[in-house]
Amino acid sequence: MSFFENLKMAFSSIAANKMRSLLTMLGIIIGISAVITITTLGTTLRATVKGALDSLGTNLFYVYLTEKNVDNYYDSYDIETTPEDLISMSMLEELIAKYPDEIRIAEENPIGSGTLRNTEKKDVPVNIVGAYDGTLDYNGCKILAGRNITMEDVTRKKYTCVVSHIFVKQYFKNGENPIGHVISINMENGAAYEFTIVGVYRYNTLVNGAGPNGTDEMKTPIYIPNTIALQLQGNYYFDGFWGIPLTFNVKYDANDVKAHIQNFFDEKYASNKNFTIGVNSAMDELKTIDMVINVITIIVSVIAAISLIVGGVGVMNIMLVSVTERTREIGVRKALGAKKRAIKRQFVTEAIIICLIGGIIGILIGLLNGELIGIVANMIIKSEPSYSEILGNVTIQPSFGAIIISLIFSMLTGVFFGLYPASKAAKMNPIDALRYD
Amino acid sequence: MSNIIKRYYIGQPNELQILNGISLTVHEGEFVAIVGASGSGKSTLMNMIGALDKPTEGSYLLNGVDVSKLSDKQLSEIRNKEIGFVFQTFNLISRTNALKNVEMPMLYAGVSRKERSKRAMELLEMVEMEDRYTHKPNELSGGQKQRVAIARAMANDPSIILADEPTGALDSKTGRMVMDIFHKLHKKEGKTVVLITHSPELASETERIITISDGSIISDTGYKGNAPAKEVSAE
Ligand SMILES: Nc1ncnc2c1ncn2[C@@H]1O[C@H](COP(=O)(O)OP(=O)(O)O)[C@@H](O)[C@H]1O
Ligand SMILES: [Mg+2]
Repeated sequence: MSFFENLKMAFSSIAANKMRSLLTMLGIIIGISAVITITTLGTTLRATVKGALDSLGTNLFYVYLTEKNVDNYYDSYDIETTPEDLISMSMLEELIAKYPDEIRIAEENPIGSGTLRNTEKKDVPVNIVGAYDGTLDYNGCKILAGRNITMEDVTRKKYTCVVSHIFVKQYFKNGENPIGHVISINMENGAAYEFTIVGVYRYNTLVNGAGPNGTDEMKTPIYIPNTIALQLQGNYYFDGFWGIPLTFNVKYDANDVKAHIQNFFDEKYASNKNFTIGVNSAMDELKTIDMVINVITIIVSVIAAISLIVGGVGVMNIMLVSVTERTREIGVRKALGAKKRAIKRQFVTEAIIICLIGGIIGILIGLLNGELIGIVANMIIKSEPSYSEILGNVTIQPSFGAIIISLIFSMLTGVFFGLYPASKAAKMNPIDALRYD
Repeated sequence: MSNIIKRYYIGQPNELQILNGISLTVHEGEFVAIVGASGSGKSTLMNMIGALDKPTEGSYLLNGVDVSKLSDKQLSEIRNKEIGFVFQTFNLISRTNALKNVEMPMLYAGVSRKERSKRAMELLEMVEMEDRYTHKPNELSGGQKQRVAIARAMANDPSIILADEPTGALDSKTGRMVMDIFHKLHKKEGKTVVLITHSPELASETERIITISDGSIISDTGYKGNAPAKEVSAE
């Protein structure tokens, strides 16, 4: 007898007992829907967090000075550092020269505030921040027009700057093109310096903080090359960094970049008695989230496994009842020439179909739960603009792996718990079965 | 079939011997009636002839094959291809319609879908049930059910039709109709028909009457036909 005939037979007998079949499936439905709900949440949470980290710069490493033989970065202040221990600018330049397309410096150095007088003779307040080629990226600021600060700006000490789109609104009341415009920044100490605007970035309220006032009074950063910022601070003899954030071009693999950085500094600090360099990445955060999600998934899977077992026992119970109820039918089928194998297959198929339908209903409920949670999450995010800027719209992402595994497991449950009732049916003596009433 | 003995509860204190050495030959194309009191062992004998059960002792040849030596799987195949059962209580599968019921033996014989429904419709036409093929058993009267059951018994064109009190649950009028079908199968299709019945009138319509009492044959009117072309069951 063909597989298809078996399926038809199974469906007709399940259809003959709809309510009973549905109740039998309940355990499986609950187990599978729980797994799908949680795995959907897990994959969605991961994707959302990764998206947020990406927009903040997952391509970020923090390189820091640490004592040799000390694990914890916070414990490493026991030994006095000398200027020779610090991460020098020349080291960084060497690193970048070694990996020119790959690594960029994300350090920022706020040196205070200043004002600019616009055409309407109003003062626009700004924060002046020393930057490198990776700083804006690190702050999650996308370049809207023009270009970023480059290492050339930094090493050649060019008076260039990148301003926010809010600043453009505040300063250029006539809508001129800001790129190439020379602006004069009045420092707190009364001095004024002229900078050429080379780029405009999108001000990110969640990262940079929302101004308490309306757009006109809002104080946004102007990024200038850090070498100039240091000069403006009067810091001509800069020793080096205790720690410095680096970003990298996303087309490179994070682990490779991390290894490049670590190897570079390991070599540099090989002869240093007390200190070495540690490298931390934002991706490490994602690893923590992965771990949490995995733990939750495992717990829910265990619960689901239990409910699958309970559900499976329910299926077995119902199948035993069904076999007894249909003793006569089994006898007739045997009298008409059904082999043991055919009878066994008939009942196993029925158990599998019950479990599979339960599994599919469970998956659908799980997906529905995911969608509902997505709707609620998006409502919450929309009510808080600073969240939506970073998180955007949460798109629910079901875990296809979990769906496939759920289907396989519900099938296996059917096979496992259907086998005993089915072989009981197959073993029936046709004469006794025919006499049964 | 020679010296058939059937015992139940073998080796237990309540051991029962139901058939006490029955020897019987049914020829191809014969219409035989087996009569006897209730509990005399008619059905047990029929189960034996129908390869549903194996004798405890003795041998049974069906078309020259010793059924008592066959495996469970081989018995299933014999029942499927060589035997057509008709039961007193019809034993149709209640969930499915008349057509599907008739198709069932062909399903187990691995007949293709198209061929199955074509043959099933032909058989339903033969028993004049073709306009009821979509009806489920509970939408049919007793006589109609039995006609469907006879169509089902004929599905794989078996050598023998075994009918165990096929009219027992029917009134005389519908019983008559069912009997007419058996006559038709016997005369037109040349089928061997073994009919178990209580009714002496129905038995008298057949070619040969075998009377059983307490598991033994007490009378047999004997084979009336011409020389057997081929024996269905032989000593
Ligand atoms: N499976 C069985 N186990 C024990 N006794 C049985 C079994 N089948 C039939 N019998 C007994 O065998 C006897 C003959 O039964 P059966 O062949 O059905 O008689 P009939 O069909 O002539 O009325 C009865 O006494 C019945 O109780
Ligand atoms: Mg009987």
